[in-house]
Amino acid sequence: MPIFQKTFRGGVHPADGKEYARNVPYSTYLPKGDLVFPLNQHIGKPARPLVQKGDTVLAGQIIAEADGFVSANIASSCSGKVKGVENRRTVAGTAAPCIVIENDGAYTMAEGVGNETDEASLTGREILDRVKAAGIIGLGGAGFPTHVKLAPKNAEAIRYVIANGAECEPYITCDDQLMRTQAQEIVKGLKIMLRLFPKAEGVVIIEENKPEAIRAMEEACRGEEKVRVQAVRTKYPQGGERAVLSVVAGKHLKLGMLPADVGCVVDNVATVRAIYRAVCKSEPLMERGFTVSGDGVERPCNLMVRIGTSFSEVLQAAGGFRKGADVQKLICGGPMMGLALSSLQVPICKNNNALTVLTLDEAALGEKQKTSCLRCGRCNQVCPLGLTPQMMAQAAERKDYGRYEKKLYGLECIACGSCTYICPAKRPLMQLFKQAKAEIMAAKRK
Amino acid sequence: MSKLYHVSSSPHARSRLTTGKVMRQVICALLPAAGFGIYRYGESALLVLAVSVLSAVLTEAVFDYIAKRPDTWKDGSAVVTGLLLALCLPAQVPLYVPLAGSFFAILFVKCFFGGLGHNFMNPALAGRCFLLISFSGVVADFSVDGVSAATPLETLASGGTVDAVEVFIGYGNGVIGGSILALCLGGLYLWAVDAITFEIPAAVVISFSAFIALFGGQGFDPEFILVHLAAGGVMMGAIFMATDPVTSPVTSAGQLVFGILIGILCGVFRVFGSAPDSASYAIIIANMTVPLIDEISVPLPYGLKKDTKGKKGIPKPALILCAITLIAGMCLSSVYEMTKERIAQQKQAAKAASYQEVCPGAVEFTNDSRADQVIADLDGGVYGTDFGKAYIHEAVIGKDAAGNVAGYVISAGSGDGFEGMITLSVGFSADGTINGIAFTEINETAGMGMLCKEEAFQGQFAGVKTERFSLNRSGTSSLENEIDTVSGASTSSQAVVNAVNAALDFFAANFQ
Repeated sequence: MPIFQKTFRGGVHPADGKEYARNVPYSTYLPKGDLVFPLNQHIGKPARPLVQKGDTVLAGQIIAEADGFVSANIASSCSGKVKGVENRRTVAGTAAPCIVIENDGAYTMAEGVGNETDEASLTGREILDRVKAAGIIGLGGAGFPTHVKLAPKNAEAIRYVIANGAECEPYITCDDQLMRTQAQEIVKGLKIMLRLFPKAEGVVIIEENKPEAIRAMEEACRGEEKVRVQAVRTKYPQGGERAVLSVVAGKHLKLGMLPADVGCVVDNVATVRAIYRAVCKSEPLMERGFTVSGDGVERPCNLMVRIGTSFSEVLQAAGGFRKGADVQKLICGGPMMGLALSSLQVPICKNNNALTVLTLDEAALGEKQKTSCLRCGRCNQVCPLGLTPQMMAQAAERKDYGRYEKKLYGLECIACGSCTYICPAKRPLMQLFKQAKAEIMAAKRK
Repeated sequence: MSKLYHVSSSPHARSRLTTGKVMRQVICALLPAAGFGIYRYGESALLVLAVSVLSAVLTEAVFDYIAKRPDTWKDGSAVVTGLLLALCLPAQVPLYVPLAGSFFAILFVKCFFGGLGHNFMNPALAGRCFLLISFSGVVADFSVDGVSAATPLETLASGGTVDAVEVFIGYGNGVIGGSILALCLGGLYLWAVDAITFEIPAAVVISFSAFIALFGGQGFDPEFILVHLAAGGVMMGAIFMATDPVTSPVTSAGQLVFGILIGILCGVFRVFGSAPDSASYAIIIANMTVPLIDEISVPLPYGLKKDTKGKKGIPKPALILCAITLIAGMCLSSVYEMTKERIAQQKQAAKAASYQEVCPGAVEFTNDSRADQVIADLDGGVYGTDFGKAYIHEAVIGKDAAGNVAGYVISAGSGDGFEGMITLSVGFSADGTINGIAFTEINETAGMGMLCKEEAFQGQFAGVKTERFSLNRSGTSSLENEIDTVSGASTSSQAVVNAVNAALDFFAANFQ
C-alpha cells in the first residue's frame, strides 16, 4: 500500500467514534412489534400500496409497487396481518402514509424467496428486472432507486462501477462489518453489475481506517480480473458520491449531473450486496446492516435488522440507554449528516443505517460559543466542492438568494456539514444553507 | 414522553476549535518574538508589551460594559492587538505611546465598527499608523541605551552596508519584535496549526523581493534584498498583519492577489517614497481593497471548472490584478527612471551651489584623502555619539584661483528631523570659523520646520568659531554659540544643530 492514499480536495477529520462498534460482529435482530413501511422511503414517486387493511402478508411479499420509473417496490419484512395504510410519523419528523403490519413473529417466507439462480444464465434485462422487483434503493443514505442508476442512457460509456465502502460518517460501522463478513457476496454483486457495463472496471473504495475490511475485500477480489480494491485516505466526506468520483475518476460533478455523466456508477457496498441477493437468491430487500452506537448506548453493536423495525426496538436490542448516561441527542445516521430525532417511535427505512445516541450535544455547545465570523476562510478550505461557505452564509443571512444561487453557486452544496464542523466562530452555516435551498426551491416551484 | 431531546440541523459534531483558541494560537506564535525583544531590550520592552496589552484589553472591556455587549474582551483578540502593536514599537518609547496606540486601535478601529470580525482594517496596524503620525519623533526613535543608532534601513539609505544575518536574528536596531527568526518561527507554527495560509506571506515576500530586485537599484543582490525584507516590519506585516483573517480575503486566489498587492505597494513606498514604514501603509491600503478582491475572486466550484485534470490554472482575477499592479509599478518606475537623471543633476547642481555659497572665493573643490578614508570607514553609519542620528557625507577643500586653500566644506545630515533626512553643507574658513550653512535637502513641516531655511535662523551660524552649538529654546540668546530655536519647530532646529555640530567635530578632527 502506498504511504499517501488518494483523496479528494477539502474535508475534515471529526472524531470518528468508530471504536464503539467497529469490532462487534453482526447479530440478527428479529422485531417483535409492528413493522411500519413508509411509502416514500426512496427518492422519486411514493410507491403504490398493493395491500389493504386485514390482508395477510408473508415475509418477502411485495406490499407496494413502484409508481413510475423513478420509484421502488417495497417488500414486507415479516409475515403477519396488515393493520392499515395510515399516516405515521417518520424519521423526518413529519407524518407520511405508511403500511403498518402486525407482526406474527413467524417470519414465514413468501414463495420463491431464496431460490438460487446462476446469474450467468440471466440476460442484462433480467438482472435489471430482478433488481427492480427487489425494491433496491441506495442503502448508503440517499435512497435513489438502484434499477434507475443501473440503466443509464449509454451503458457503453461507463468506465467505473464503484462499490462505496468508504463509510466516512463517524460512529457508523455497519458497512465495515459487512465488508469483513460478506466480502464474497459484495464482489459477486459487483460482478453482476459489471455484466451491465461491458467496458467498466469494478472498484471497491475503502477508507484506510478499516484495514480488516480492506484485507477481506482484497482477499475476495484475488483472481478477479476486473475488480480491485482502492484504499483511500481517511477523511470526511470521503464517502460522498462526489468525493468518490474525484478519487476514482478524477472528475467533479456539478449540479444536475449524475455519476453516469462522467462514466461512473456508484453504489454503497450494502446496495451491491443486496443486488447479489436479489439476483442470485431472489431475495427482495427486507433487511439491512444497522449500527446502534454512541456514548449513550449500553451495548453499541451492529445489527442485521428488518426494514420497518422501530428505532426504539433496535435501541432495546442494543441494551437501551447506558445506565447513568445523560442522553442529549438521538440521531438517525451519524453526527455529520444524520437527522436529529425527537422520538424513537419511528420506523427504520431502507436507507437508514444507524442510530447514534449522543450524551454531549456539540451543536448546542457550539451555539453557546458563537461569535462573529472571523473570515478565517477555513470553511472555504474544507468544502469538498470548492464553494465559499463564508460568503454563502453572508448572502443567506441577508436573504440575497439571487447572489447565493448565481454568484456563489450555493445550490451545489451537498450538505456534508464540513464547513459548520470546522467553523471556530460556530456559525450555523448548514442551517442557513438548508433554509436558503428550501426557499430557493420553493420559489422555483411557483 | 419522559424526556425531550435536542433537535437541530446537522452536523451534530463540532470541532474543538473556537474563536478564543484561534486567538490563543496567534498569541503563542507571537511569544518568541516578544521573548527575544525582552531578552534584547530588557524590562523596558516588557513594560511596553504589558502596557499595550493591558490598554487594549481594558479598552474593550470598558466598551463592552458601556455598550452592553457580550464580554468579547475575553476572546483574546484584544491581547493579540495589544501584542502586535507593542512588537512594532521601539523598546524605549514613553509608556503613554502604547497606551494611546492600543486605545485607538481597539476603540476606534475595532469596537466602533462592530467588534471582532467587522473591522475593515487591522486594528494593530491602524494603531501603529496613528502613532506614526501623532508621535513620529518617539515612535521612530530607535536609540539603544540612550545612544542614537541608525536602523538598518537608514544605514542602507545613506549608502552603508548592513549585516543581513545580524538583522535576521534580531540584532538590527528597531522595534521590540524585530527578530525575523522569531517571527518566522511563529509563522511556521501558525501555518502548522492551519491558523494562516501560506498564500499571503509567500506572495508578499516574493513580490516584494522581486520589486526590490527590479527597482531597488542594486539588481538581484540577495543580501540587499534580505536586508530590505528583514527591516522595516515587512516580515512582521507579511506573517502577522497581512494574514489577519478579518482584514484579508477569504479565498485562496484572493489571498494571492492581496499578498502581491502588499508586496508591490510596500516596494513602491520603500523605493520611491520617503517613509521607511512602508509595510504598515501598504497593508492598510490593501486592507481596504479586500471587499473588492473578495468579490472578484469567488472561485468556481470544482464541478464547474472546465477540465481540472492536468493543468492547475491561475484564477483569472488574480492575473488581472497582478497585471494592473505590475503596470502601475512599471509606470511609476519608468517615470522615476526618466526623471532620475535630472533629479540627480539637480541635486548635484544644488550641492555645488551650496558649496559655493558657504565657501566664497573658492573656484575648485578637491577631496582630502584622509577625510575621505574616515568617511569611508563610517560606512554610512551614524557619526559620533553626541549628535543624534548625524551623518557625514562628504568633506572637501575649497581652493581659490591661485590654488591656495580658501576654506573647507562638510556635507552633513541628520535623521532627527520630522520628515526624512535634513542635509546641509557647512562652510569653514581656514581657521575654523563657520562661513555659513546651506541646505541641500529638507522636507520639514511647511510653515514651521521649513522656517529653518530662513536667514534669521540659518544666519545665526555664520561668523562663529566654536566647538559646539547648543539650542536655546526660549527667547533670544546673547551667546553666539547658542542658536535660537525656530519657534514651534524645536525638533527640526535640534536636527540642524546636531548636523552642524557633527560637521564641527569632523572638521576639528580631520582638518585642524
